[in-house]
Amino acid sequence: MYGEQGFTAYDFVLWAEGLGVSVGIFLASSVFGLAIGILIGLTRYYKVPVLGKLLMMISEFLKNSPVLVQLFLVYFGIPALLEIDITPIQAAIITLTGNTAAFGAVIVISSVEAIDTKQLEAARSFAMDEWLILKKIIYPQSVAIAIPLVVGLAINQLQVTSLISVIGVVDLTRVGDIVNQRTFEPFIVWPIIGGTYFILAKLLGLLGARLEKKFSAYRYQAGI
Amino acid sequence: MLDLSSMSEHMPAFIDGFIITAEVSIISILGSFLIGLVFALMRVSDNHIFRTISYWYVDLFRNIPFIVLIFFAYYGLPEVGVYIDAFWTGCLTLSVAVGAYAAETIRAGILNVDKGIIEAAKSFGFSKLKIYRKIILPIALTTSVRPLGSVFINLILTTSILSAITLGELTGASKIIASTTFRPFEVYVFLVFFYGILTFALSGVIAIWHRHLNKYNEAN
Repeated sequence: MYGEQGFTAYDFVLWAEGLGVSVGIFLASSVFGLAIGILIGLTRYYKVPVLGKLLMMISEFLKNSPVLVQLFLVYFGIPALLEIDITPIQAAIITLTGNTAAFGAVIVISSVEAIDTKQLEAARSFAMDEWLILKKIIYPQSVAIAIPLVVGLAINQLQVTSLISVIGVVDLTRVGDIVNQRTFEPFIVWPIIGGTYFILAKLLGLLGARLEKKFSAYRYQAGI
Repeated sequence: MLDLSSMSEHMPAFIDGFIITAEVSIISILGSFLIGLVFALMRVSDNHIFRTISYWYVDLFRNIPFIVLIFFAYYGLPEVGVYIDAFWTGCLTLSVAVGAYAAETIRAGILNVDKGIIEAAKSFGFSKLKIYRKIILPIALTTSVRPLGSVFINLILTTSILSAITLGELTGASKIIASTTFRPFEVYVFLVFFYGILTFALSGVIAIWHRHLNKYNEAN
């Protein structure tokens, strides 16, 4: 196969596999990352001592250093320190989850803080317990505020997944690299790979617009 | 377990890498600012074709991963007879890619300029060029210092990806240090902190600059 020129039908299979890996890792790290981001945001909101500050500090460093370096840290650094084995896919999911969590926490905090504090005071004066306040007052409103921000984050994180190709995960970008090295057709390979990411981003944007409409429906009902 | 002492003897290599990162960053910040400015002006112009081109430029480059762009440039440019090394390929691609983000930011700044001021300038008979040069752009840039600053901080973080096309900047240099010292954890932790402190310091500088430029606005 090496040195063979021109495209084969197998390249399409490779593309589809790469697409699957990229989308799969994107979905896994987004779901885990947002869940952890919400937890970090809540520890901050309820001012959990030590933990709240510590998690915020870690997420500051995750936001302010290149994801590529974080990938190297997890894939090369942690196995060397702890003397364990980590596969490229595990390293990719761990790193991207951490990164999504760091940015997700910021969104959670800002959307919760955007809620009018008078509402919370009113609810507390009615002796609603904190869990009920979180469920009935904070959650529905902050989700409506957060959706467009989360969609923006997701589109960004989709692009960030392309970096996992550098630690050897055979994702869409790595497939592009492999096929490009074999065929020497950069003007065909990279526009196709780039176009695939572009279409995925547009699809995410469309999905986001629908979610936004759904979650902000209560505003129109209430006539706000 | 954590032993940073092995880093110290490799400091010269690390600093060499930092110098390349700084050079690429400065050239690309200037490049992306100029490209962003041109496309922002095209986007707010009256010409339909200019507006469409600018719209597609921004949309395309904001939705395609940088690593795909850099591979395209690195393998594609020699095919069309452009032979430049990894350093200049990096500067070129960063300028074009980040230019899209800069264009959006500058455009937002232009759209934020008070229409009354522009009307006033027009009524004084200022030429269009003069209105842009003397009134719209200075005001727009004053308000977009902070968002432009975060775009450029992101650019600095993105330079790390140039290690994928063999450029020996900070990340590329650290990769070599990590493999010679067999201490990848220490090297990359150090690198994460280094980038972190660099960006904190820069955002501090940008915040001060922003306050300085906007000190007259506070009075209003």
